[in-house]
Amino acid sequence: MPISFKELSYVYDLGMPYAHKALDDINLDIQEGKITAVIGETGSGKSTLVEHLNALLLPTSGRLEILDHEIVANQKHRFLKQLRKEVGLVFQFSEHQLFEETIIKDVMFGPKNFGFTEEECKKKAVEALKLVGIGPEYYEISPLELSGGQKRRVAIAGILAINPQVIVLDEPTAGLDPVGGKEIINLFIGLNKKLNKTIIIVTHDNEMVYNYCDNTIVLAKGKVEYSGLTLDLFNNKELVDKLKLLEPQIVSLKNELRENGFKVSDNIRTINEVVEEISRQVR
Amino acid sequence: MSFIEVKNVSFSYSETNNAIDDVSFNIEKGTYTTIIGHNGSGKSTIAKLIAGLLTPKAGEIFIEGVKVCEENMPTIRKKLGIVFQNPDNQFIGSTVKDDIAFGLENRRVEPSKMDDIILEYASKVGLTGLLDKEPQNMSGGQKQRVAIAGVLAMQPNVIIFDEATSMLDPKARKEIKTFMYDLSKNPDFTIVSITHDIEEVLQSEECIVLNNGKLFMQDKPENVFKHPEELRKINLDIPFIELVKEAFAKKKIKVNADNIEGVVKQLCQYRSKN
Amino acid sequence: MNNLVLGKYIPLDSIMHRLDPRAKLVALILMIVAIFVPKSWYVFLVIGIILVVEILLAKLNFKYVLSSVKPMMFMMVFLLIINVLTLKTGDLLVKLGPVEIYADALFNTLFVVTRLLLMIMVTTTLTATTKPLDLTLGIEHLLKPLQVIKFPTHEIAMMISIALRFIPTIIEETMRIMDAQKSRGVDFENGKLSEKIGAILSLIIPLFSVAFERAYELADAMEARGYVPGAERTRYHVLKFEVRDYIYLFLNIVVMGLSIASRFVL
Repeated sequence: MPISFKELSYVYDLGMPYAHKALDDINLDIQEGKITAVIGETGSGKSTLVEHLNALLLPTSGRLEILDHEIVANQKHRFLKQLRKEVGLVFQFSEHQLFEETIIKDVMFGPKNFGFTEEECKKKAVEALKLVGIGPEYYEISPLELSGGQKRRVAIAGILAINPQVIVLDEPTAGLDPVGGKEIINLFIGLNKKLNKTIIIVTHDNEMVYNYCDNTIVLAKGKVEYSGLTLDLFNNKELVDKLKLLEPQIVSLKNELRENGFKVSDNIRTINEVVEEISRQVR
Repeated sequence: MSFIEVKNVSFSYSETNNAIDDVSFNIEKGTYTTIIGHNGSGKSTIAKLIAGLLTPKAGEIFIEGVKVCEENMPTIRKKLGIVFQNPDNQFIGSTVKDDIAFGLENRRVEPSKMDDIILEYASKVGLTGLLDKEPQNMSGGQKQRVAIAGVLAMQPNVIIFDEATSMLDPKARKEIKTFMYDLSKNPDFTIVSITHDIEEVLQSEECIVLNNGKLFMQDKPENVFKHPEELRKINLDIPFIELVKEAFAKKKIKVNADNIEGVVKQLCQYRSKN
Repeated sequence: MNNLVLGKYIPLDSIMHRLDPRAKLVALILMIVAIFVPKSWYVFLVIGIILVVEILLAKLNFKYVLSSVKPMMFMMVFLLIINVLTLKTGDLLVKLGPVEIYADALFNTLFVVTRLLLMIMVTTTLTATTKPLDLTLGIEHLLKPLQVIKFPTHEIAMMISIALRFIPTIIEETMRIMDAQKSRGVDFENGKLSEKIGAILSLIIPLFSVAFERAYELADAMEARGYVPGAERTRYHVLKFEVRDYIYLFLNIVVMGLSIASRFVL
């Protein structure tokens, strides 16, 4: 069952003179078990959209179906905490949420809030820290002693320890160096492939989107401009231009090759795949 | 004598290991230099040392022959401006014009002359209509332009950009980078930019690579990227076009152009030969 | 938090907005004295009329100024209950079972409440018509004589203006950290006391650590732009006393004078 937005709108400061419609009649399906990118300019409503997924924001009108829940505008719902257990949201600069005196305690904080026993929490925390590559030698030190990239990984472990089925990431690589960023992205791709988690990434990095994301949603001014396969979007040059998207460099290369009479398959994403095809043609 | 001279500088935040370890390099007047390195390589530390915000444990730094140290700070401050990473944490005034005025107030500029100066530099960075805007109603890119205007208004001859574009979205990043490039065409400005952005490195004239607090390499950007294997070893990103060339090289196809069009052209020649 | 009216600046163009902040600050002190001293309802009536005129001149919305009183409602009801329970003088007005309400209790409370209402409304009128930065500047100037005893008026004014500048940023930050912790299962609204304390800690600690980080970066940015605490600086905003400011001050002195006189006459 997909995650579905149905005629959903969200207005900030409703009823105030400075009210602002951030989402406007959103109709959208997000497939489970896939990696979906949400892209669009700053202020297009990306963050507002994903904050609905774990009910941090409730729709002003319309509704949202997610997992076994349905969130309807202007209704009280009792399952919000349960929903937050099933849908984990990793915020931008998530390292800002760290507060316990040791790393292991901080990662245990989430499971504890959801009612697991001390022992279960510890087990979940150890597993999560292992996933993000933080070893036992770090467990008992303060998160404040870590480098920026390590802090980010501990914060992500804090969400993974809750073991959500859907993981939402709001610009998970912002402020990290490129190599640190790639490690984080690889971590989530692994979670998708190995554990079949649904991953939703808000990002500005179209190169990453083209390389790894199955589906892409493009937002502009609170409306959905595109929702579908990533390849179909970026392989359509007219659409990319119309939506004023930054073309991934690999796509530019593929397009340039085609214009010069080379044959390039639509469904390849990496440099090595392109080079493989071309090298056969120049020999 | 070089414009900026860093001589055997070391610095540490803790007792145990040096964040900067015996680093020496020179930066010439009027150049655009990028400093790259992975997180924790010491690149932001070196920027703060040059700006006199940190004091070296050993070694010396000179700007136009003036030693960067406590008693010379008034002179150094006149020569040097710095734009930081976080657009919010360097916005001191409560509006755009108050923020640009902040540096002028410190410099004891006559209040009656300030409005003209503010307008001049605000228009240089395209903020003319936004003088009364408050930071909470501005985008990251706009705030970063305010920071640049504030620095320019002090008329420095060297500007350090300390990861000034890393928190911006691609559109704003591009704007600021273009602005830095245009600024670098003015021979009066020496630009030092600490960055992760490979595209920005390619638009600069000189590149310094730091690794674990040590100088790893200093060369023209195109030469730096000729050694992708070494850069990968120290956790640095490699430009797309270099990755393409590398992949073709593995297939024994030699291409050496600097952009996609050039590479494809060479591939066409290759095809017609065989 | 956006609904907090007390202390919010309303950007309009009016004669009240244009008055010098020093004049308005001194006038506020004079008015507060004028509200505190009298024992007569007539004086309140006069001050009330003056206040209405000021609000009209400031082009402010009456509803807005009145809404600033809301947070004080609880205190006023509390005051009434205390007075009813303790003051047993004057005529007996109502007897509700064991509770007896005497005239003095009612009138005393009304008097004190009116006094408070007037004070809050006068203050709201000031903050609504004066930019926070101008207020700081005004305070700095008024405290200048204290520099003689080495009181760091300028540094304190700088601190206040930076605090004002960062309030919206910190509020935004608070919301974000709250959302992040909610995503980790924290419930800020319900729960036992021990859980509530845990929830608050998960908000306060990150907020402080981020604020410190900001403070260090801000200090670097200020230093890099040539700020030296205690050093002589010029100021972009120059305050200038105009004729209207003298008139405004004079009128306020008259009101205070009359109010004090009323204690002896009425």
